[in-house]
This record gives sequence, structure tokens and C-alpha cells, in this order.
Amino acid sequence: MSRGIQTGSGLAVEPDNAELETLLAGCAAKDAAALESLYTRVAPILLAVLMRMLRRRELAEDVLQDVFVKVWQQAGQYDHIRGRPLAWLVSIARYRAIDMQRASRPTVVLTEAEQALEPTMRVAGPADAVENQGMGSALLRCLEEIAAPQRRCLVLAYAEGLSHGEIARSVGEPLGTVKSWVRRSLMSLRRCIES
Amino acid sequence: MNYENPELLDRLAAEYVLGTLRGQARRRVERLCEVNVAARAALHRWENDFMPLSRSLKPIKPSARVWTEVQRRTIGASGSTMRVSAGWRQWRFAAAAAFLALGLIVGLLVREQTVPLQTVAMLGTDATHPLWHIERAKELKALSINVVGPVQLAADKSYELWALPRGGKPVSLGLLPRSGKLERTLTDPQRVAFLAADKIAVSVEPAGGSKTGAPTGPVVIVSPVAAVG
Repeated sequence: MSRGIQTGSGLAVEPDNAELETLLAGCAAKDAAALESLYTRVAPILLAVLMRMLRRRELAEDVLQDVFVKVWQQAGQYDHIRGRPLAWLVSIARYRAIDMQRASRPTVVLTEAEQALEPTMRVAGPADAVENQGMGSALLRCLEEIAAPQRRCLVLAYAEGLSHGEIARSVGEPLGTVKSWVRRSLMSLRRCIES
Repeated sequence: MNYENPELLDRLAAEYVLGTLRGQARRRVERLCEVNVAARAALHRWENDFMPLSRSLKPIKPSARVWTEVQRRTIGASGSTMRVSAGWRQWRFAAAAAFLALGLIVGLLVREQTVPLQTVAMLGTDATHPLWHIERAKELKALSINVVGPVQLAADKSYELWALPRGGKPVSLGLLPRSGKLERTLTDPQRVAFLAADKIAVSVEPAGGSKTGAPTGPVVIVSPVAAVG
């Protein structure tokens, strides 16, 4: 029951969408081996996302557990039309973390959040170009076109999971300003990605 | 709000995915996506668009306990790892019920602060069928384990008690007795694990206990540990 699974260095190879879809179909058919393979491939990616948002390892791991239980129960609801199974899995994890945050997160975290900002915002280099093909490079390119303070608001919201109010305190701008920055940045992002 | 307006839908979806939409507004978008194809499509588009930010993080290997717990809650729950045939299904159901009921029992018992021993947990099939009453003195040197209900298990199996330290591996607290009362002195590692644990668990093991130092059989009870005041 407690047989461990090997995830190598912890650095998962970029999972292939078709493979992930096959594994999700396996989970929907209640195939235990499919769940284990899916976990091996995706859990380290999801934990990185959750750690960034929740900052406490035990909490992030508790949420990770819940995510895989939910995936096991709801794999049949994965909609193939949407493509991108990893985006579905990441979204389940992020939304669960957002709902968890209100109750559990310490509020004095902003310095750390700001320090941690850079790696996320790195501009696509050759390695990223391989990793983030297609839409990925579009997002990074378009983020680069947004002015730095506004871009920082988007990243604090998405990667750190901060609310409007928390972002406002973090960047030292009024709440109304942050709300309008976020709204306008999203609109320009949409225009840019589609151009 | 006019949800037929595609720009509004897109904005709501974007702020939902970004995470800046909170509380009731968040729930409204979820309900909207259940019935509105355009809203769902907008949501998926933003989820896909933002994915590269998530993928730019370096993956982090989870602790082994996460997979153990996922297994217990998924594959274990579907019966494919069932090893003790008789009664296991009932146990599993009962364990879930006990998990909910224990908080109440433990809360009631812990209030009796005048007794020298304080309840750590009442483990059993449900609130009205406790099997083991586990107590400790305020100074944690030993656990007192009292069998309070009929314990049934095949002769070649044992019930083993585990401390589940947060973020760490389960640590055995020894076998649970089938009858009578037992005072178990804890070793230092057991004491440390117990103090770091917010839950304890019972697994079914070969007679004499797990040979590997980790639970090998089905985990039939997981219970929160009551805080001792």
C-alpha cells in the first residue's frame, strides 16, 4: 500500500498532452496504475504551483492530496475538446489553493513574494522556448509588452495568488488603481495573444 | 449582469483564472460556467493562456506521505488494495464515520482535566462502538491503551498504531492490544513523532506488525489527535 513511487530528481519531463489524456481516461476507468503514472508526472509540477501560492509545504501537500483525490473522482469530466490536460490539472490545484488561502495564509509574506518574483518573470530564453512552445511564448512575449508595475500585479495575482487588496499593499498603490491596472492589463494581454 | 456580453464574460473569466475574483463572485462564475458554453470557453482559454507561468516554476518532489494518502483515499477506497477480506469494507466505512465522530467524543473527554490521564483519541468503528481508548499523561512518556470494545481480526493479523507527523513518514507506536489494558512506554523517536503528529492511524499488518517500518496493510482508521491541555 505504501510502496513508494520514483520521481527521479523531482524534475518531471514536460508531460505529453496525449499521454496525459490517456492517463486521465485510465483514471476515469478507475485504473490504479494510470493514477500512479499521472501522479509521477504531474505531482511535482502541481506542488511547485501550490508551494508558490500557499508557501507552507504541509498545507501545499495537503491540497495536492485533495487535488489527486478530486482528479480520481472527476477524471471522467475532463473535456477533450478543451485540449491541454495539464492546464486542467493546474487549474484544479490553483482554484483549490485560492479557496484555501483566505483561511490559512499568514499575511506578512509580501517581501518574500516580491523576492520570488524574478524567476517567474524571466523572459523566454532558448530552454523556455522549447518548454513553452506555441501559446506559452505568446504569453511571455505579451507580458513583456505590459509596463512593469502592471505586469507585476498580474504575476502577484496568478503565481502568488494574491487578492486585489494584497497586491495593493504589496506594490504600495491604491486599491482602485490596482483593480484598474489588472483589468486593463488583461485586456491588452488578450488583444496581444490573439494578434 | 448581462452574461450575453462576450467582453464581460471574458473579463469575468480572466479575473476568475487570475484569482482576483473572490468569494461570492467566484461562486457565481462557477455556476455560470456550468450552464453557459461561452463562459466555459472563455475560462478554458485563459487557463491555457496563463499555463506557461505555472510551467516556469521548478517542479518540487512531494513527500512520500502524499502518495500514500492519495492511494489510501482513492485506490484503497475502491477496494483494489483490499487484503483483509472479512469486515474490511465495513471498517473502511466505519473509519470515515469515526473520523467525523471522533472530534466530538475527544472534545467531550478532554474537558475532564482533573483526571491524571487525558484522552488522545477514541478509536473505533463509529461514535457508539469505540474499540480502543488511548490516553496519555500530560508529561508524555507512555500511552495508555484500553480496549473498550470487541476487537475482531484474523489470528495472523495485527492492528498497528501509527503517528502521522506533519510532513513526515508514519512512525509506529506499536501494536494495539486485542483485549485488556496496556501501558506502552514511548521511545524518544516515538515521542518526537507523536508530538509532531496531528493524526494517528491504525493499519492491518501481518501478525507481529509491519516488517518494513511503514504501514504495509490497509489503513483502517485515521483520527485527529486531541490537543492536551
